[in-house]
Amino acid sequence: MTAMAKGSTGDGAPGAGALGSFGRYAGPATLILSSLAGGAKHGYALTKDVEAFSGVRLAPGTLYEALSRLEGQGLIEALDSEDRRRPYRLTAAGATALRAHLDDQRRVADVGLRRLASNWGTS
Amino acid sequence: MTAPREVPARRAARLLRWYPAAWRARYGDEFAELLMAEFAEQPRSWRRAADIARGGLLARLTRAGLAGHQPSSPEQVRAGLATAACALAAFGALGVAMWAQLATGWAWAARADAGTTIAMAAMSAAVLLLAVLGLLAAVPLAWSAARGLARRSARRVLLGPALLAVAGAGVLAAGSHHFAGAWPGTGAHPWAQHGLVPAGAAAFGWAATLSVSAYWAHPAALAAFPGAEIAWMAVSPAALAAAVAGVAGLVRRLDLSAGILRYEAWLASSAAAAMAVFLSGACCWVLAEGSGPGLFHAGVIDAGSLAVMALALGLAHRATGLARKAAPGARPR
Repeated sequence: MTAMAKGSTGDGAPGAGALGSFGRYAGPATLILSSLAGGAKHGYALTKDVEAFSGVRLAPGTLYEALSRLEGQGLIEALDSEDRRRPYRLTAAGATALRAHLDDQRRVADVGLRRLASNWGTS
Repeated sequence: MTAPREVPARRAARLLRWYPAAWRARYGDEFAELLMAEFAEQPRSWRRAADIARGGLLARLTRAGLAGHQPSSPEQVRAGLATAACALAAFGALGVAMWAQLATGWAWAARADAGTTIAMAAMSAAVLLLAVLGLLAAVPLAWSAARGLARRSARRVLLGPALLAVAGAGVLAAGSHHFAGAWPGTGAHPWAQHGLVPAGAAAFGWAATLSVSAYWAHPAALAAFPGAEIAWMAVSPAALAAAVAGVAGLVRRLDLSAGILRYEAWLASSAAAAMAVFLSGACCWVLAEGSGPGLFHAGVIDAGSLAVMALALGLAHRATGLARKAAPGARPR
């Protein structure tokens, strides 16, 4: 969950590889960015969405630690507050970083699945 | 009858206290809303409480520049520098007290053994280096503070810490100069007969750190001191704390350029290296002659000082390391 590739596309685009500096928060950060890729959400909606698509329940402290880091690096931005709840949305830099990171993860997954298929069968 | 939101709101407010005030000002309302939604779904959870406590402590460490590395973050550099200044002040107060004790003993009778001589030389060189680094760090800060104070918009936020720093440093310098006359070394000549260090410097250091004393544990002996000296022992730590709080406040609030931030972070890192040299010398003294006679004897207060100094060095090393990495324009390492 927390071990992440360096996540560089090599194109020098802003935000590419930015998740590499998140350490143990790279996992929550990926889940949050993936959730926000579907549209802006506030904290509780994010928690429920991440739980629905990944089965991971982000605890409040972990969620907000990751949110403040993502916001600090310009990968997400806060929108005007709806009452006391504040929604967040993905920025262009965040979309670039997420794409680079997921591409790296897909390469790892492809290698693992290919080797499993050739050495352990397809079941 | 209690309103339906009142009890969970109070619980959320209690949990929010784990976080620093600046974090609460930014995220407090939305975090409290999230917590109340979580309470409605799952009223009690030890894991959730532990996660919030851990997150709050981490936010406090981040606020102090001791965690949460972010590249090119002036705020993190300023936080790291402020923390390093506080750690250096604590280290300096205890270290100079120890060094002044040895300098006094040396003025009475020079030591012949290599271990204590090397220790004293290392500690003296580190004190000199730290003083030079402190001056080099103070120049751009004082210049930036003076420029900031000249601008009406920045004056309101800078005036308080600037006054605190100047008043604290002024009281500490004036009081140390005054009480240095009571230095128990041999005479007050610029270079004492056996001294490795100038007697004036040793006397000033001794007077500035008079409060670091085992006499606090012996009230009867302390009561025999002159009243003015006892008062100075109480006032001088407060003056040092005020000076350091003022400097830390200025560092946090000054709008320093990327170049100055990199320069200050480099100086702070060099100061941490000098602190390591001093601590090595101090340990060398304790191992070589800690059980020796008179002023060369290492007591419980010296052992305690070494432990606190090691902790201060660890904090300074961590803060300066993160500050250098976070400095705008710093090369990734």
